[in-house]
Amino acid sequence: MVRNLTAIRGRFSLVLLFVVLLSGFSGVVKVQAKTIKIPVASPFTGPLASFGEGVKNGALLKADEINAGGGINGKMVEIILGDELCDPKEAAAVATRFASDPEVAIVIGHLCSSATLAALPIYKEAGLPAITPASTNPQIGKSSPYYFRNVYKDDFQGDFLARYAKQVKNFKKVAIFYEVNDYAMGLKNAFIRKSKELGLQIICAESYMAETADFKAQLSKFKMMRPDAIFIPGYAPQATLLISQARSLGLKCAFFGADGLDDEIMLKNPDADGLFVTTPFLVDRGGAKVKDFVERYRHKFAIEPNWFAANTYDAVGIAAAAIAAGGLDREKIRAYLAGISAKEKAYQGITGATYFDENGDCLKPAFVKVVKGGKWVSAKEQLQ
Amino acid sequence: MLNALLEQSSLFLQQLVNGVTLGSIYALIAVGYTMVYGVIQLINFAHGEIYMLGAFLSFSLVSGFFGIGLPFALAVTIAVLVCALAGVLLDVVAYRPLRKAPRLAALITAIGMSIFLQNLALLIWGAQIKSFPREAVPAFLFAPALQFGDVVISWLQIVILSVAVILMVFLQLIVHYTKIGRAMRAIAQDQTAAALMGVNVNRVVSFTFALGSGLGGVAGILVGLYYNAVYPTMGYFAGIKAFAAAVLGGIGSIPGAILGGGILGLAEVFGGGYISSSYSDGIAYAVMILVILVKPTGLFGRLSRDKA
Amino acid sequence: MHLDDRLFSDKKLYLPLLAAVLVLPWLPMGTAGPYVIRIATLTLLYMVLAQGLNVVPGFTGLLDLGYVGFFGIGAYTAGLLTVHYQWSLWLVLPLAVLNGALWGVLRGAPTLRLSDDYFAIVTFGFSELIILVLKNELWLTRGPMGVPGIARPDLFGRVLDQPWQTYYLILFFLLLVLWVVVRIRSSRLGRAWFAIREDEIAAECVGVNVAHYKIIAFALSAAIGALAGAFYARWFRFIHPDMFKFWESILILCLIVFGGMGSITGALIGALVLIPLTEILRIVLPAEFSSARYLIFGLLIVVMMRWRPAGLLPVERE
Repeated sequence: MVRNLTAIRGRFSLVLLFVVLLSGFSGVVKVQAKTIKIPVASPFTGPLASFGEGVKNGALLKADEINAGGGINGKMVEIILGDELCDPKEAAAVATRFASDPEVAIVIGHLCSSATLAALPIYKEAGLPAITPASTNPQIGKSSPYYFRNVYKDDFQGDFLARYAKQVKNFKKVAIFYEVNDYAMGLKNAFIRKSKELGLQIICAESYMAETADFKAQLSKFKMMRPDAIFIPGYAPQATLLISQARSLGLKCAFFGADGLDDEIMLKNPDADGLFVTTPFLVDRGGAKVKDFVERYRHKFAIEPNWFAANTYDAVGIAAAAIAAGGLDREKIRAYLAGISAKEKAYQGITGATYFDENGDCLKPAFVKVVKGGKWVSAKEQLQ
Repeated sequence: MLNALLEQSSLFLQQLVNGVTLGSIYALIAVGYTMVYGVIQLINFAHGEIYMLGAFLSFSLVSGFFGIGLPFALAVTIAVLVCALAGVLLDVVAYRPLRKAPRLAALITAIGMSIFLQNLALLIWGAQIKSFPREAVPAFLFAPALQFGDVVISWLQIVILSVAVILMVFLQLIVHYTKIGRAMRAIAQDQTAAALMGVNVNRVVSFTFALGSGLGGVAGILVGLYYNAVYPTMGYFAGIKAFAAAVLGGIGSIPGAILGGGILGLAEVFGGGYISSSYSDGIAYAVMILVILVKPTGLFGRLSRDKA
Repeated sequence: MHLDDRLFSDKKLYLPLLAAVLVLPWLPMGTAGPYVIRIATLTLLYMVLAQGLNVVPGFTGLLDLGYVGFFGIGAYTAGLLTVHYQWSLWLVLPLAVLNGALWGVLRGAPTLRLSDDYFAIVTFGFSELIILVLKNELWLTRGPMGVPGIARPDLFGRVLDQPWQTYYLILFFLLLVLWVVVRIRSSRLGRAWFAIREDEIAAECVGVNVAHYKIIAFALSAAIGALAGAFYARWFRFIHPDMFKFWESILILCLIVFGGMGSITGALIGALVLIPLTEILRIVLPAEFSSARYLIFGLLIVVMMRWRPAGLLPVERE
């Protein structure tokens, strides 16, 4: 009996504590009018952390630059990081946190398409505009007037790769080995569609799960079919394993992929020599502004910037411009972004001219780069 | 026509090679699960993490991750010994205090340890895939050893198979011809009776953990080299597959685990190559379920003990 | 006597608690309001899940390692039906629940004679296969593209688009589930389950039709999981196979282990403490250490099992 009373009292205290804690949350999310908060959401830990690191660094670099120049209308910019681990549930939690913060008027993020799609309804409901520097899934722009992106879409990328494979590389037979996720499958579908049009033969398409470590079964099958090249829509961690295993089996074909393979890990793999990928950003194409960006990035972070960093750098720049024009007002910022609708009004950043169409998508060129001797080198032949 | 036949048989042989290699790896890990289950009826969920630890330790020692770079052979030996030790620690710290507690508690502790160790590795080493630096590893391992037409067998594949076979023989010798092996078998049959006969149960159980974990560590190193990839979640997936293999062979039976490993490796490769690649993981799950539903004692398992 | 027996019958105990829970959305929380309500809604959702899982390990003593499978089945059934046919929540929900119960029985029926460990393995394998199907069968589930654009829940023709509305909705479901579970606990069915949990063979000898009762337990447990899933789909409005991982099964297991397996109030407390804890950890930990959350959970499980294996509110042997 006594034990039960203690238990009941214990329960009451727990409930009380809970209620107090929740009310206390409002303290955590308190209004601090001193800085301009720009939240950035991406996977900062987990398997795609190296992509997220680029996002983080790009944002921080731009924020430093803005603050060094006096901030936005006198106030300093503060980058708030939200780690969503490329998981839809986490993304929704992070999104809710940002959306319910009255100090936040624009979000930069997310990276993975599934995360973006989970966060999208939350931002839409809260009238919070968002720019994604990295999500390439075509669904995103169409689904919300609040979502913008400064990177190209997967259907464009897949298309481009098919044309490059046929017209520049003259491949006759291509095999595809894709990861089962929305990014890879969107790419693969666009690639196959365009290849049919161009008469490029797809001899085989196999899939793999993200956790797969052993690709030899399917690779042996590919080897028998003798492709000229293997297209790997997917992410770098698996692609690097795949390529090494293929080489150890004696496969001599070429390999190519898209922006998901644009990672340092490919440079460290001697088997990946000759791999070519599409990328939104080429260091030797941008001129002085880009060189300056690369210098400063190298100086601050001791590594080379990747395209995630470059795109985020520009995205934060666009956000800052919007805030400078309209203040921390969500609707005004959205209207400003929607207003960047033509080439003349475009934002000139290190990734070129960014302007949005009626869906919030943007038209950006794709470039090709190649792994040569442990470094990324621009491909000799580019394609328009 | 003849060409096609040659190609198909080439492919078949290559898949055979792939399957046998994969099977050897699963066997090495499966044996650890089965030995521990045999003596204390616990599914050691954290076993996959010991395997992962073996890979990470050897990588770290070879590449100088912790500041010191050691020659390959030394690094590997140390890694295996540390794994064996880690297994004993796992037993002493997490499982032994629960020896008398309900089975469910021990199982849940095992799951908890697995999650803890996986995330600990994540914090220490990060999620990025690590590769053995090419200069630090004996180069011949990556070179192709034999080549019949299109079929390629690398030295590493031969090494994996040989190591697996040698260690399995070694294990069988220990279990059947040494005093401590006899003690292990006695405990597996009846723990109380064994204790009454003067067997130091705690010591023998710790030894079992040490042996199983050491083998798991070896598997981890071999796999780390084979795929040239070491990452914190590698233990989870390999662990599930190996566990399915142990169940297939009859959990508690060492020869069963070896055979189960071989069969599962081949099934995965042939299933993945000829049927569907995205369901190749599903093969392990399906095997687990089917075996348990149809013949829970697996291929070689003895009748399971009564729920005490 | 256990708190379970007193809490739901003693008005002095449960009325104040109910009042506190009902009043939550209207507390002065400033602009953090929607965020707090969201966490509270999530907590209530996990309370439902905990109750569902509690039925099998808690009442019948069998360890279910694959609960996320039913959660997923419920969510996908509800989500897909809503997206294809635009049906009301109240039509979609019972269908999802029935589907869940069906799969619970399908999974359970062949496993009636299995011992603990083997049963646990089968539940694990089964739920992993379900997740694989969710990921791969694009024609059915859209696979990794996920199912976006699921309509909000509706009530009597009105769309529930305010956070407090979905909060009350899940509260309603929780109270419904609690009502069922509490009633069963003191009924003949409940007593039969506890008998099976304590000693299956003895129960059989006393005339308990073990097979029959186990199947009912499986069906009920799965049905509750599917109910939670259906709500989840309509609340989140986007579902994706990545939202249903093995980790969820473990998380829900942690909740009932923490509170005391078999204890209804224990399951509530487990969710009440641990779910907001994950949110607090997310805010408190710097971004680089967000995975430390899982590490803490793993440690928590080990520590709990070592020092309080029966949970906070252990269910006594009767």
